[in-house]
Amino acid sequence: MGFLDLDQYSLRDWVHAPWSGLANFVEAVTSSSMPHSLWLSVSFALLTTVFAAPIGIVAALTVNGRMRGRGIVRSLYLVPYVIPQFVTGSLWRVLLHPDGATNHLLHALGINANNHWLIGPVSFWTLVAVDVWASWAFIYLMTLAGLQTISSELYEAADVDGVSWWQKIRYVVLPQLRGPLSLALLLSTLHHFNNFTLPFVLFGSPAPEAVNVLPINIYQTSFQVFRFGLGAAMSVIALVILAVPAVIYLRSVRLDARPQEAEA
Amino acid sequence: MSWRARDPQAILPRGLNAVAICAIAAFALAPVLFMVLMSVTPDAEVAGGRLWPSHLALDNYVQMWSTVPLMSGLANSIAAALTAAVIATAFAVGAAYCLTRFSFVGRRPYLASLVTLQSVPHVMLLLPLFMVFSSAGTYLGLPLVGTRTALVITYLTFALPLATWVMVTYLRKIPESLEEAGLIDGLSRFGTLWRIVVPLSWPGMVVVLVFSFLIGWNDVVFASVLTHPDTRTAAVQLQVFGLSLEGGALPLYGQLMGASVVCSVPVVALYLVFQRYLVSGLTAGGVKG
Repeated sequence: MGFLDLDQYSLRDWVHAPWSGLANFVEAVTSSSMPHSLWLSVSFALLTTVFAAPIGIVAALTVNGRMRGRGIVRSLYLVPYVIPQFVTGSLWRVLLHPDGATNHLLHALGINANNHWLIGPVSFWTLVAVDVWASWAFIYLMTLAGLQTISSELYEAADVDGVSWWQKIRYVVLPQLRGPLSLALLLSTLHHFNNFTLPFVLFGSPAPEAVNVLPINIYQTSFQVFRFGLGAAMSVIALVILAVPAVIYLRSVRLDARPQEAEA
Repeated sequence: MSWRARDPQAILPRGLNAVAICAIAAFALAPVLFMVLMSVTPDAEVAGGRLWPSHLALDNYVQMWSTVPLMSGLANSIAAALTAAVIATAFAVGAAYCLTRFSFVGRRPYLASLVTLQSVPHVMLLLPLFMVFSSAGTYLGLPLVGTRTALVITYLTFALPLATWVMVTYLRKIPESLEEAGLIDGLSRFGTLWRIVVPLSWPGMVVVLVFSFLIGWNDVVFASVLTHPDTRTAAVQLQVFGLSLEGGALPLYGQLMGASVVCSVPVVALYLVFQRYLVSGLTAGGVKG
């Protein structure tokens, strides 16, 4: 599809659409907003993961040991994550609108920020913050699963050596978690990169320039400007870029647990 | 030293642990509680940013059904998502059984493709799928765009690989010796699948069913392109409703929040009921629900 000159008229009869060679690809790279979107998407995905990781790790540490009410706390942690993203988007849209609760709350705290959170350059950081809120529990879940594979004997040995809790985290927990945690960070980055629903619902369309991330851009190019060929070319380029983390992910998954074959 | 008696898995000091739990829980729950609170606040007060309602406006929950065609949206969501989930689960069990019990040419590439598909962004499949559906209308005379069938097919494209992969990780843990015993006792292959594997793997099937259902329930992008106003899912209705409030004279934010609560409750309830199974499935498959 990336090689065809498709618009809303030729789409119905796409077999006969004019062949346009690499023109769509050239346009996507040189004169469209795609490079900008790609940059936005990459920085959005990385920043969100970086901010979400500490919250997720600390949260996992707090509920690893047995204590009263642990099951309840574990469930509560999951709530923002399991709420559908289209609801998250609507909720924050209401909370953040100029007359909304966020600004009133800030005002009550003495911070006079009558900000328009949903337009202009600040909207990028709004998106990062809301996505961190919605998705840190993914890192929490992966970390918790990793923590549960660490045997109590390691901690008891550390206690005998008289180390502090901080040293325990630094020298026992983090090294043991390296595998599951790096997988969690990789997957989390991928999810954020691919997140369409949240920016789409949170900002509406057309999205502000600052949150024109790649999935949004492809959607708008295809279904609002009706440049289907250009949209498809963008998709193909994005797929090629995504192949890199996807291959890393693939190599880290035990594809085949059957003993008679080599492991992936 | 009181904490000597604690579970050695508890790493943070007791006081710090309590503080951290409170801080994280507040961070996670405050916006959700606000959502519930705003859903019983009169519309105008939400729009004015009032933090505490002057009176409980429970009629938000009554009016919203006529403001947005929410009932038909929920019906569409359930119909499309549930159909896709049931089909995906049925096929996933069969496919995963073959993938874990037999070896055949192309098995490893098949497994690899299941995993790789998890990292393909949905938006990128939107265009090709849209083309296929509209071509089906042009060339085969099958009007698919705008129907629930199109949605079911779309959700299956994502639910099937996910469901199969989670089932594969699950079926691996079931020892083959049970099936061998069944085969010796005269069961056919299908007999072992139906009488031995399926009863043993129902927790995995629950996980797969719920995850596949959520793919459809949470989807906005496909439903927004592939539906007509009367086949719209709840997700799209909520999104359109939220957008329409910007230009409208009377911002109905209270009702919007009420509708949001209604759309979240089934999902949160599903998670809380099946939490134990879902979490293990989530981390095993390395997927997002």
